[in-house]
Amino acid sequence: MPLAAKLFIFSLVCALPGIDLGWKLLQDNLGANPVETLEHTTGDWTIYFLLLTLSISPVQQLFVPKWPIPMHLIRRILGLSAFVYALLHLAVYFIFDMGLDIDAAVEDIATRPFIMIGMTALTLLIPLAITSTQGWQKRLKRRWQQLHKLIYPITFLGILHYALLVKADLFMPLLYLLLFGILMLLRQFKLPRLR
Amino acid sequence: MSHLKESDITPQEWFLNRRQLLRTIGAAGLLSTPLNAFADSSLRFQPNPQYRPDLKLTDAEHALHYNNFYELGTDKSDPYRNADRLITDNWQVRIEGECAKPQTFDMDDLLAIEQEERIYRFRCVEGWSMVVPWIGFPLSKLLNKVEPTSKAKYVEFISILDRKNLPGQRFNILDWPYREGLRIDEAMHPLTLMATGLYGEALQNQSGAPLRLIVPWKYGFKSSKSIVTIRLVEKQPISSWMQATPSEYGFYSNVNPQVPHRRWSQAKERPLGSFFKKKTLMFNGYADEVASLYSGMDLRRYF
Repeated sequence: MPLAAKLFIFSLVCALPGIDLGWKLLQDNLGANPVETLEHTTGDWTIYFLLLTLSISPVQQLFVPKWPIPMHLIRRILGLSAFVYALLHLAVYFIFDMGLDIDAAVEDIATRPFIMIGMTALTLLIPLAITSTQGWQKRLKRRWQQLHKLIYPITFLGILHYALLVKADLFMPLLYLLLFGILMLLRQFKLPRLR
Repeated sequence: MSHLKESDITPQEWFLNRRQLLRTIGAAGLLSTPLNAFADSSLRFQPNPQYRPDLKLTDAEHALHYNNFYELGTDKSDPYRNADRLITDNWQVRIEGECAKPQTFDMDDLLAIEQEERIYRFRCVEGWSMVVPWIGFPLSKLLNKVEPTSKAKYVEFISILDRKNLPGQRFNILDWPYREGLRIDEAMHPLTLMATGLYGEALQNQSGAPLRLIVPWKYGFKSSKSIVTIRLVEKQPISSWMQATPSEYGFYSNVNPQVPHRRWSQAKERPLGSFFKKKTLMFNGYADEVASLYSGMDLRRYF
């Protein structure tokens, strides 16, 4: 199979949760609080894709020497997926929660730390999304590596954004934080190849 | 989105049909027959026309599947999914504290009190809302039976504690059992309802069976579910939410669009089943009835 086809299929797989959500939206099948479902699902998938992006390096080191798609392309698609879900998350918030009211959104962002943190994380993702191409990678050289290390604070801020929103049950955000911690910790060691 | 409207209207038709049916039964003289004329599980009640705001009822499907009842799990879908974990057999409610006649009531005692149906607005602190037909009786009718003394300044409500069966109580997400409180005048207010049913039937477990409180001008969490103890007390009780996050949850918790929750605005609300928000009304639309309870109080301070 040509690489382009593989990339297309992989992108499609990453888009499936979004497609599912869109389908349910058209069917009016998003439950009692459809906007909350849209908001939570897009937010959850943003975090999943950020964590998946971070797990590529350690997994590559531990297990598979050869991937069907070059590792850096997998990571790029995962990272871009996180960005797209974050944008959808923002769109749902702005359209349905803020009712397309820019003033209300600015006030909300300014007065509520967890919204500000989420916005910061999303804003930091923008330069990473723009410079995700090979062209930019070549142009920026060593700077590219440095820039894309922003993914670490972005992921942390994304999880913090979620943790600060939760009313009482911190189980899920703490689980994400634990996974994030493990993924960061794995970067501190030279990992043995298991296979 | 025109198909949304259609599904919104259906439950009201369904509801009106049921009411039509009740009228027919009433016309046949059946409603005046004694209680045991019906099966044990059926609720006998009369719609109270005084509490029938001209509002579209929330789809029962939504109201019965989207619940906050942390004893059964913190996800909105958990309470319905885990509903069978709540055991309501031989339910008793103990009323004690500052009263002349502390007593234990069983459900038969409570269902012997005249049951009425009232359509109330219900506003959750999280920003969603619904319009639902509760069945029950004013709490004052129950409290009067135990004859509160002059020392009874507040009422504390304690919900079920069953760590063995209730999945949410295996973790101390909140300090179990769930506790809530009202000032005595709030508790005695005619709007304050002890609910035994919803949408024409006995309360389902996820809705706080067999007996819950409804305080329609306050955020939903004040309306304790599955109550086992009601305590008349002299000092203001500390509710589970006040204990968990004192900066975010006060004792009064009146619906107030002007006082935001620390993490979100309360100016608007999203009716269940709807995509867009509408403005939240002061005291959830019950200002005429209850504003006088708080005259002279700084509602920003006493949030």
